Amino acid sequence: MNPDTSSPSAVTSLSETLPEETSAQMPAANAPAQTSSAARSPQSSSTETPAPGPLEDTSPQTAWENTSPQVSPQDTLPQTGSEAAPSSISTETNPNLQVQFKSEEGRLLLQLPPKPENSRSPISWSDLWLQLKQRLNGGERFWQPHTEVHLVAGDRLLDGRQLQAIAEALKESQLQLKWVYTSRRQTAVAAATAGYSVDQNSAVSHFSQTPKATGQALADPLYLQTTIRSGVEIRHPGTVVILGDVNPGGSVIADGDILIWGHLRGIAHAGASGQSKYRIMALHMQPTQLRIADKVARAPETPPARYQPEVAYIGSDSIRIAIATEFTRVHLARSFG
Amino acid sequence: MTRIIVITSGKGGVGKTTCTANLGMALAKNNHRVVVIDSDFGLRNLDLLLGLENRIVYTALDVLAKECRMDQALVKDKRQPNLALLPAAQSRSKEAVTPEQMQQLITELESKHDFILIDSPAGIEMGFKNAIAAAREAIVVTTPEISAVRDADRVIGLLEANDIKVMHLVINRIKPAMVQEDMMMSVQDVQDILAIPLVGVIPEDERVIVSTNKGEPLVLEENLSLAGIAFANIARRLKGEKIPFMDLTAPHDDLLSRIRRIFRN
Repeated sequence: MNPDTSSPSAVTSLSETLPEETSAQMPAANAPAQTSSAARSPQSSSTETPAPGPLEDTSPQTAWENTSPQVSPQDTLPQTGSEAAPSSISTETNPNLQVQFKSEEGRLLLQLPPKPENSRSPISWSDLWLQLKQRLNGGERFWQPHTEVHLVAGDRLLDGRQLQAIAEALKESQLQLKWVYTSRRQTAVAAATAGYSVDQNSAVSHFSQTPKATGQALADPLYLQTTIRSGVEIRHPGTVVILGDVNPGGSVIADGDILIWGHLRGIAHAGASGQSKYRIMALHMQPTQLRIADKVARAPETPPARYQPEVAYIGSDSIRIAIATEFTRVHLARSFG
Repeated sequence: MTRIIVITSGKGGVGKTTCTANLGMALAKNNHRVVVIDSDFGLRNLDLLLGLENRIVYTALDVLAKECRMDQALVKDKRQPNLALLPAAQSRSKEAVTPEQMQQLITELESKHDFILIDSPAGIEMGFKNAIAAAREAIVVTTPEISAVRDADRVIGLLEANDIKVMHLVINRIKPAMVQEDMMMSVQDVQDILAIPLVGVIPEDERVIVSTNKGEPLVLEENLSLAGIAFANIARRLKGEKIPFMDLTAPHDDLLSRIRRIFRN
């Protein structure tokens, strides 16, 4: 806890943002001057207002202080600068690490992560199974009955029992396993024995390639109707929409935007591949942590009296939060007009 | 159809075994044929809470090894003939049994019982997987503590993924006075996070300790304690009866605490 580091140029560190809640009133005093709802960075605010010590870095709520002072404590998400964002945050996000459904010409492609030996954090069969069940449960409402599923197993080895388990899980959601694409001979044999159409080699290469970070289009949005409970991690190389709550201990990591139609109490990481233009939106923003690109923000220690829909975004190099309606009015109007 | 219910929590020490013993006994008292299964191999406790320790001859493992018949291993309760216990082996580890074997045991018990309650060990490893393997429903026990709720949340996710969709929430060891003082999570706070149907709230009660040590479940007492009533109510709610939740706050809502609340706000 060394407030001394809060020089204008220094990146705001976690420790000095601790007295956040107590400072909630300070910017309120400053606020009337800053009528624009455009966000201001903590650094700039501390340079302009010379006086009060380490409490200065409560910038986010300056963005909307004038609109809703009563919720201001919540707006003061302490911020950390880029230095606080460990490189691991962005590098650990391998979009191919999770089970993924993709619709293509009326059928569903079920893509499995690459085989454990090749990946940095190997996914065991039981984890893969859990992921599959979570995705199936979360997407239940959106599946059309009797849709054909093509399993893109890539270089992952599946035995007959595992293939049968996948087929049964799909069947419970009224989906039918029809084709199996694989590059492994054993998997192909097991699939053929079980009576599925098998495609060895072909198509695998283009399905299971690891996308390069540059110039790669985001995947289609992932839409889940579920509660993301403790221990569950949803990763998706695109935008994620959750109809439900994200509980403490749960996390959503997306390369695009994150939209939580419910309580966000866990961790959300938007723009996980490093792009800071993405946003996190929640009806009830009470996160353990917010991350956008390589920035991290924490929730204040004291909860606000009232919650309302909010948007977290990166402005002036740090994470800010704005009331959703305000954000839409100011930011979206500007970007379109 | 026999109802196969696993009692689980994730975190240890929140009252799974106490719950199993009391619910088993309460259901048996209501004329259901109940078997309680201790799936905590290596750390069995359920027999102690039921006061049946000295009657165990064979365990579930002996049944699986075909060293005895199922009815030889089942320990009939001395007070309540409707209740039987299938004990776990104390000398072995959780890995001594597989989920398939648990399934096999329960299939064998199914025809002769109305309720099969499985007492799960803490954690989410092998013992937990064994416990939930054959279950069709779950009772998730938690205390109003952030760590217990977090673990319960994780367990609910795992139960969902394992196709156990019918879940009941029991909030144990609540202290109404502390909740009113805003020092403890309320029932509502816990429900907000876990979002599964509540089947019972059990107040903190010192008599639980006495009953554990004596090996006599609370629901057997002549004059039921608050906790005893709560357990009896849960047993009836499990059968679909609509029973209003006890008002635990009443005795604590005296003038003094009201004044204190006014000043705090």
